[in-house]
Amino acid sequence: MFSDMSAQKDGSSLLCRPSEDQGGPVFERMSLAYSPCSERYTVGERSFSRQYAHIYAARLMQMRPLLSERAQQKWGSDVLIRKLCDLQTGEQCCIVGTLFKRMELQPSILKEISEEHNLLPQPARAKLISETDELILEDELQRIKLEGKIDRDICVTGSVIAIYGAEKNDGKFTVEDFCMADLPPQTPRPALSSDRFVLLVSGLGLGSSHADSMLGLQLLVDMVTGQLGDQGEQSGAATISRVLLAGNLLSQSTQDSDAAKKPKYLTKKTQAGSVEAIRLLDELLLQLAASVPVDVMPGQYDPTNYTLPQQPLHRCMFPLSSVYPTLQLVSNPHQSIIDGVRFLGTSGQNVCDIQKYSSMDRHLEILENTLRLRHLAPTAPDTLGCFPFYQKDPFILEECPNVYFSGNAPTFESKLIKGPDGQEVLLVTIPDFSSTQTACLVNLRTLACEPVSFSAFSADDDEESDMNVSH
Amino acid sequence: MTTKHGLITDSFKVVKKAKRRVKREKRPPSPAPHRVTETETVREEELHKLRQFDLDWTFGPCTGISRLQRWERAKLHGLSPLEEIRDLLLQTHTDPEYNLSLWREYPL
Repeated sequence: MFSDMSAQKDGSSLLCRPSEDQGGPVFERMSLAYSPCSERYTVGERSFSRQYAHIYAARLMQMRPLLSERAQQKWGSDVLIRKLCDLQTGEQCCIVGTLFKRMELQPSILKEISEEHNLLPQPARAKLISETDELILEDELQRIKLEGKIDRDICVTGSVIAIYGAEKNDGKFTVEDFCMADLPPQTPRPALSSDRFVLLVSGLGLGSSHADSMLGLQLLVDMVTGQLGDQGEQSGAATISRVLLAGNLLSQSTQDSDAAKKPKYLTKKTQAGSVEAIRLLDELLLQLAASVPVDVMPGQYDPTNYTLPQQPLHRCMFPLSSVYPTLQLVSNPHQSIIDGVRFLGTSGQNVCDIQKYSSMDRHLEILENTLRLRHLAPTAPDTLGCFPFYQKDPFILEECPNVYFSGNAPTFESKLIKGPDGQEVLLVTIPDFSSTQTACLVNLRTLACEPVSFSAFSADDDEESDMNVSH
Repeated sequence: MTTKHGLITDSFKVVKKAKRRVKREKRPPSPAPHRVTETETVREEELHKLRQFDLDWTFGPCTGISRLQRWERAKLHGLSPLEEIRDLLLQTHTDPEYNLSLWREYPL
């Protein structure tokens, strides 16, 4: 554990005379083998002249063989796998298809236009599920309504599953059981000799109107760069070999559309809020990149494209820090292999979207569910913006990550899960730093994960007047 | 009852026959100007094959992407599309009637 390592010496080096020899000890930071493997998330040609039917077709094409295999494992190799067009009433069989949930509350532009005359403003909802939702399974040609042993509120549109049951006389399919594609195959990670850590942070929220988080953020940077604490803590900091910033580097308030509403002559001389925030970010990255390799993923509020996969932030926005080769501007979702450990994750849009359209609330639960579905973002392109791919769906997981994370969660949570074929995956929800002042450290040797909180005095907690760094 | 039925069908037959005759008269003039040559029939046959490929639902939707892209996607996912189609598409890579799907004229 990181907290044990940094507390190994009991604080003596600060309360003694400076040593005679120049400078004191130097802690060398371990540099790790790193290979980014996010090519699948880069969009070459940006053609939007296609419909989303292709992505669903490609998804089903890719998932059908996997699910047929799972279905045979689960219900015996002689299970009858049918297409919907060959379905016979009353016959027990298995069907592979894409789920679609018809939701009364799902916002629809067509509905808004048609009801314009007498439309009451709808209250903003946290959840868009209701009692009248219907679950429908689609294959290449047809669709059928589902009922029975399948939980409507947990399922989301776009997930490909296999169902087992029979069609009843009323044309609905009674589900007796269903299965998901489950975890993809994993390459075992190498055994490491020593503890090394990767720091995961998300939601820096720069440029927000209240600058509470700035002191916490500076403490974080100082801790990583080894300018905080005594020699024990500094030697601990040297074991942090990489920092990953998972999205929402800028705050939502930098996207204020105030300027767009006002007439131009009033806003001529005002500067967009994001300009100052990016400058701040550049200075922050400069401090980090000078000392440790940094991966920067964009998030929902960052200045890059909105649709997933989000492309890396442009280098020219960071004139100070981009000269360092240690600064890696990467895509969202991002995948990389750090010292043999495969990291995969997003800035959290996929998880937040599923949270809205299902009864699941905990980010960790949703994260595990997407891994079991073998799909990063099942609700894209239905309710989550997504590039219209046609050849293959890049969000389908082909190889199982060792660490699977999502950013901008309300709280820190982590869990080590085991797959059916012995896969071992650490799930981490990285908390939003601006509101929780918490980052997390992943130990590459043991796959243990622990939060690091920075508390400083802020307007909320007056009684806690001294700042402290706790692990 | 029976007599009434007979009357209705009789009248329908008369109407339909009349329409068909009109159509038949209209149709023949249009193909006539095209001189049916050897190359024309080959082209027609090739295009027919490509249209059949478009209409095969197992390879997924065909609008918005070129036929070759659709063929390659089918190949990628192990659906074994006909090699012949690919050869045809590679030979004539400039003609939009070959390259693009049946519904190329429709906006999205």
